Amino acid sequence: MSSQNTDPAAAASTAALKGSEAGGSATRGSATKRLQQELMTLMMSGDKGISAFPESDNLFKWIGTIDGPQETVYDGLRYKLSLEFPSGYPYKAPRVKFLTSCFHPNVDEQGFICLDILKDKWSALYDVRSILLSIQSLLGEPNNDSPLNTAAAELWEHQEAFKAHLKSTYKS
Amino acid sequence: MEEELMESDSVEVSSSVQVLGGGPAAWATVSAALVDPESSASEQCVSEALAVLCTSGLGRRLGSWLLNRLQMRLATAVAPEFWAGLEQPENELEERDRARVLLVAFHTLLEKLEPFIGGLEMLGRWQEEGRCGLSGPGTRALQDRAFTIIRARLLFSPPAVLQRRVLEFYSRTFSVHMSQEGQAGDGGAEDGGPEDGGTCPGCVAPVGRCWCQEALGQLQELSCILSRLQLLEQVSSEAVTSIMHTLLEQRMEQHCRGEYERSFLLDFQEWLELVLGWLARVFASTEEGATTPQATGAPGPAPGSMLQQWRRHMHQFFCRVYVNMRIEELFSIIRDFPESKPAIEDLKFCLERTNQRQQLLASLKPAFESRLLHPGVHTSDILTVYISAIKALRDLDPSMVILQVACQPIRKYLRTREDTVRQIVAGLTGDTEGCIDLANELSRADPVTLEMQDSEDEGSDPEDWLPDPTDAVKDKTGSKRRSSDIISLLVSIYGSKEIFIDEYRTVLAHRLLHQLNYNTAREIRNVELLKLRFGESHMHFCEVMLKDVADSRRINTNIREEESRQGAAAEPQTPPPPPPLALSAMIFSSEFWPQLKEEKLELPPLVSQAMEAYTHRYEKLKAMRTLSWKPHLGSVTLDVELEDRVLTNLTVSPIHAAIILHFQDKSSWSLEELSAKLGVSKETVHRKLALWQQHGVLREEAGGQYSVLETGSSRERQERSVLLIDSDEEGDSNTLFWAYIQAMLTNLECMTLERIHSMLRMFVATGPVVTEMDVNELEAFLQRKVREHQLIVSVGVYRLPKAN
Repeated sequence: MSSQNTDPAAAASTAALKGSEAGGSATRGSATKRLQQELMTLMMSGDKGISAFPESDNLFKWIGTIDGPQETVYDGLRYKLSLEFPSGYPYKAPRVKFLTSCFHPNVDEQGFICLDILKDKWSALYDVRSILLSIQSLLGEPNNDSPLNTAAAELWEHQEAFKAHLKSTYKS
Repeated sequence: MEEELMESDSVEVSSSVQVLGGGPAAWATVSAALVDPESSASEQCVSEALAVLCTSGLGRRLGSWLLNRLQMRLATAVAPEFWAGLEQPENELEERDRARVLLVAFHTLLEKLEPFIGGLEMLGRWQEEGRCGLSGPGTRALQDRAFTIIRARLLFSPPAVLQRRVLEFYSRTFSVHMSQEGQAGDGGAEDGGPEDGGTCPGCVAPVGRCWCQEALGQLQELSCILSRLQLLEQVSSEAVTSIMHTLLEQRMEQHCRGEYERSFLLDFQEWLELVLGWLARVFASTEEGATTPQATGAPGPAPGSMLQQWRRHMHQFFCRVYVNMRIEELFSIIRDFPESKPAIEDLKFCLERTNQRQQLLASLKPAFESRLLHPGVHTSDILTVYISAIKALRDLDPSMVILQVACQPIRKYLRTREDTVRQIVAGLTGDTEGCIDLANELSRADPVTLEMQDSEDEGSDPEDWLPDPTDAVKDKTGSKRRSSDIISLLVSIYGSKEIFIDEYRTVLAHRLLHQLNYNTAREIRNVELLKLRFGESHMHFCEVMLKDVADSRRINTNIREEESRQGAAAEPQTPPPPPPLALSAMIFSSEFWPQLKEEKLELPPLVSQAMEAYTHRYEKLKAMRTLSWKPHLGSVTLDVELEDRVLTNLTVSPIHAAIILHFQDKSSWSLEELSAKLGVSKETVHRKLALWQQHGVLREEAGGQYSVLETGSSRERQERSVLLIDSDEEGDSNTLFWAYIQAMLTNLECMTLERIHSMLRMFVATGPVVTEMDVNELEAFLQRKVREHQLIVSVGVYRLPKAN
């Protein structure tokens, strides 16, 4: 638990100007270890409705899958996301975006997501599992105060119409 | 001023007529003597003229006149000139020149004003001496008035340029001072300006053109002028304050942010002393002024006390800035707690000197809520942070009020998590890796008994009583209840310890049931420790459970001995009995154990007979008691002998054993038959059969028939049995493989056998069991999943069936 938000390897590399390369690879090494660990945890956790796996042999790029939460307009829809981890992970937030186009107040047309924990509220305590869970719950509970997609934000009030629009535009 | 002049005018009107005679000449002499220090008039001359003026009553007007003159000069000439001097072609100048311009401007100002000040002084002296009957307020008062005029005229609304220049100049001299002091103090480590860079660390000019000394000289000069004009406070304070504050904030930002493992109080104390050295330079002339004769009795606080004031101010400011920063970071500090103890201690020191507890609470609560209390964080992590918070905050605030108030949201949130109790209990018994703290806490010496009732005679000295801080939560319980004991706090989340004891009982039961080896040393220790906490009576059930285990062991040995004695006695006449079933039992007092999962299972006659026999013996041993078997619990160790091979020492669950035992009588069974025989649902039987299929002992044939593979022809099966050792639901390597395969197919849609294989090799973290599965094994495994309709394959590509 100690010093979650400061990257020990990075600190070491700034302290000693020499050997910055070694510091860099150590960072990446610890990120790799952490990602492996997270993959394992995710596999063991058996959460329903969320899932993720590295896209290829690169452990720093994952594909995630989220099932729309039940009892929301997204029920029954399945969304794919891409997760890219910086080498400073988990001290830096991963870049997460929707691959499946998602009509949602806080998701823009390119699939970018407006979610505080992916930006300024990021903490090393989060992991892939919690990111996916947060995004899943964001689907059902959008933050309509700061919409990226204003049309979706306005339509949200009318759940039936929203659902109809969603069904007609959804492409898996 | 204006008013006063008017007044004196009105007084003089009546008398002015009489004096006109020798008046103008005398006035001219005296005024010249006052205003122009190089006046040629001799002392004698001036005295005479003064006498003339005094007799005509004009002497009294001299003071007002002089001040009026000063004001006029200032307004018309001196002030505009001063500003113009300052604003000289601004942009082209280098910093060094700007400093010079600043100094020159003040020099000129002093030069222009000096005659008036001198004149006033002279006049004041005359007045004090009462020369020629002259009377008046005296030097001090006259000068005071003059300085007021200067301040008013000059600084009433000064252009920004003055502050800018002064600030720049002071900043420079400050860095010069600090670099010199730093070098003198600790060998240049202070600001660490690189010598080789060719720039002087103080003035940042190339070493050859260093003007550090010049700057310090200028500083002294400027201070002199300013204090002469009594403008020091007005001109400097703002600049000095802003420099101090910025630097302090910067320094704090650089040195302290994110660094919790070191105390900074002393560091900053030393640094502040250095800074005060500079302040002493800025206000130096006031000190010197005290020694110069002309300024004797100069107003303003003594220099020492001024420095004292600054010291206090800086100290206070340091505390506030430090507290602000740490409040922002408090969550991280708490999270890192045992390592961040120095930061907590610093914060405690500073917090006592600033009134920021409310701010701290207002910031910490939301920090907990936004960073900790949401679905993405594991309960065990929340508990870990909570424990750190308890430890950190009880250090920070011994009255525990901050702890109580700030952690309210955590406690409230933990109440909504289902697994809180389980996690706490697991932590207490040292089962989880995360919360070793709790286990340590439990085994700590001097435990606090969790007495929920108020015990009046707490035994604490009434002399030590302190009133609650004002921000304490008003509750009936009062401060006595604000415990800082981690375990009491955790247990009190739910308000009752029964919940925990029940949970512990379940955990204990689970543990005892699963190890089946009568070895309970660790559990006994835990129970003893918990007894100290929760009290004997509450742990009674658990004690009985442990005693049951010990008793079982004894009874077992007893019955076994009897068995063998009888066997030996019976041997001579009868043929050897059927191979003995080494049955050992765990005997639980049903009253004291938690409800066990009830599952139906009809055991084969061989086993149930052995059980009956055991029951008989037990009943003989313990009158009035009997056994009620739980056939589905326990474990069986067996060997399977087949035609060409033997599988030895397999440890399986009773139902597995029961299944294979049935195949001893008949080599082929259908699912329905087995299900009926065992009294277990077909699905369960099907699932359990998988184990034996993997071992290559049984084979599924067309029509749902299972039969024994007496001749295991292929070696492949032998290998596989190593790999797929057990596919019970308990999460072994196979289910892990399957989880990975499912996850990759969910996310990557469809994959070939080779791709799946290489992905598995790459990402299945190296566990103790199996790390590799060769392609053939994998294919077999996938084929099985296809048969079970959990997977679809077409043209060599696997995918998951569409979700139903």
